[in-house]
Amino acid sequence: MDEGPGWDAALVAASSSRSGAPLAIARLCVEHLGLTGAGISIISQTGVRAIVCASDAVSEQLETLQFTLGVGPCVDATRQRSPVMMSDLMHPEGEPISRWPTLVESVSASGAEALFAFPLCIGAIAIGALDLYRSTPGGLSSEDLSRALEAADAVTLCLLRAGDGGPFGTAEGLDSNHFAQVHQATGMIQVQLGMPTEDAFLLLRARAFASGRPVIDIARDVVERRLRFSEEDR
Amino acid sequence: MTDPTLPATTQAAPTGRDQRLAEVFVALADTLVDDYDVVDLLDRLTTACVDLLGVTAAGLLLNDQKGHLTVVATSSERTRLLEMFQLQNDEGPCLDCFRSGTAVTVEDLRLETARWPRFVPAAVAAGFLSVVAVPLRLRDQVIGGLNLFVDDDADLRLVDQRLAQALADMATIGILHRRSAHRSDLMAEQLQHALNSRVVIEQAKGVIAERNALSMEDAFDALRTLARGRNEKLTEVAIAIVEGRLDVAPLVEH
Repeated sequence: MDEGPGWDAALVAASSSRSGAPLAIARLCVEHLGLTGAGISIISQTGVRAIVCASDAVSEQLETLQFTLGVGPCVDATRQRSPVMMSDLMHPEGEPISRWPTLVESVSASGAEALFAFPLCIGAIAIGALDLYRSTPGGLSSEDLSRALEAADAVTLCLLRAGDGGPFGTAEGLDSNHFAQVHQATGMIQVQLGMPTEDAFLLLRARAFASGRPVIDIARDVVERRLRFSEEDR
Repeated sequence: MTDPTLPATTQAAPTGRDQRLAEVFVALADTLVDDYDVVDLLDRLTTACVDLLGVTAAGLLLNDQKGHLTVVATSSERTRLLEMFQLQNDEGPCLDCFRSGTAVTVEDLRLETARWPRFVPAAVAAGFLSVVAVPLRLRDQVIGGLNLFVDDDADLRLVDQRLAQALADMATIGILHRRSAHRSDLMAEQLQHALNSRVVIEQAKGVIAERNALSMEDAFDALRTLARGRNEKLTEVAIAIVEGRLDVAPLVEH
């Protein structure tokens, strides 16, 4: 479970890249995880809504195909809120491949032999997927899997933040998400202000940042009903 | 234990505990053949631990594959208890059990302050004296641990560790349910699914608690009752609530 040198710092740097954090994170994945390409799409329950970025031409083609066809691993990953992992596209063992015959044919023709789609999600919030591909078959090592999951978390935060331009950094990352109270507080705040879950989640983090306290402390205050959010907090 | 002086017919009849054991295993096996919700299953399992093993509290922690252990099910929603389980992200019997892949048993936690300087005070403050942690293991892979806590009214020596391991094995099967497919890919898909489902349920509990002025424990009960009444999966109902597609006010009669 040891992080290799450089990854953590590089992920933080990529996440705060002014010239496009999602692309910087996608490129970081390619570089550190021995991959060939990476792409990111915004997806709703009905299909791909926008292609955010792609690190190379094949990734671009992959995202475009899923956008056009409305199906694919990134669509399934978002809908199921769990990764779709295909470590050997040419010799599929599982059922996912048969769900998208046209797609798999085109993808294989483009030279991708392993494809991993990670949902950009925090519980019920599911906004899209990070697609990683490699031109050789093989699974992700446990270290690479851990990095891919962290990268997906970082992209999720970047894309959520993009809407409101919040100033808070990624230093605390999503570590506080291990605590149930953070998610319970998110649900409570969404009701208090009648706002979408993702906005409530951002507001909770913004409050922590502004007050210089850990997210879990603010969350506890909300859950134990010592703190209520009101209209002025928006 | 059965009394050897009693007539044979009485000995053959199942004791109360054997009866409970059979009922719980039948119910869990029934769940496993259907299209079940993983968090719901794990929740029933931790409740079954308290029921069958005579422990005070039970919790299940899973490897989140990002270097942490995360709580996915507990026999009680008490905040202090939850935090004690979650502390083992950094240190504690469950983390040691997860790392070694073998059971960890501690009869008197107070003697282990040097080993776990933060975990022991939290556990003692929550009223616990002894702990057992058994691994959730599939072949050479350890995916998490089952944590059992005993307060000073109970006796750790009476806890059947083989039964504890059997319940932990059921949890593993429940999480990695498509075992026939030996793709390592599937393990990541299914573990992440279970972990995210837990987050969905916490969000839904927050919505229900706020709408109905309930405690988190009562909010969870209300969510379970709602899902069972609709005959739908816990996680699906939770998503519908968080997304506002299912109205939860008022869920409970005051």
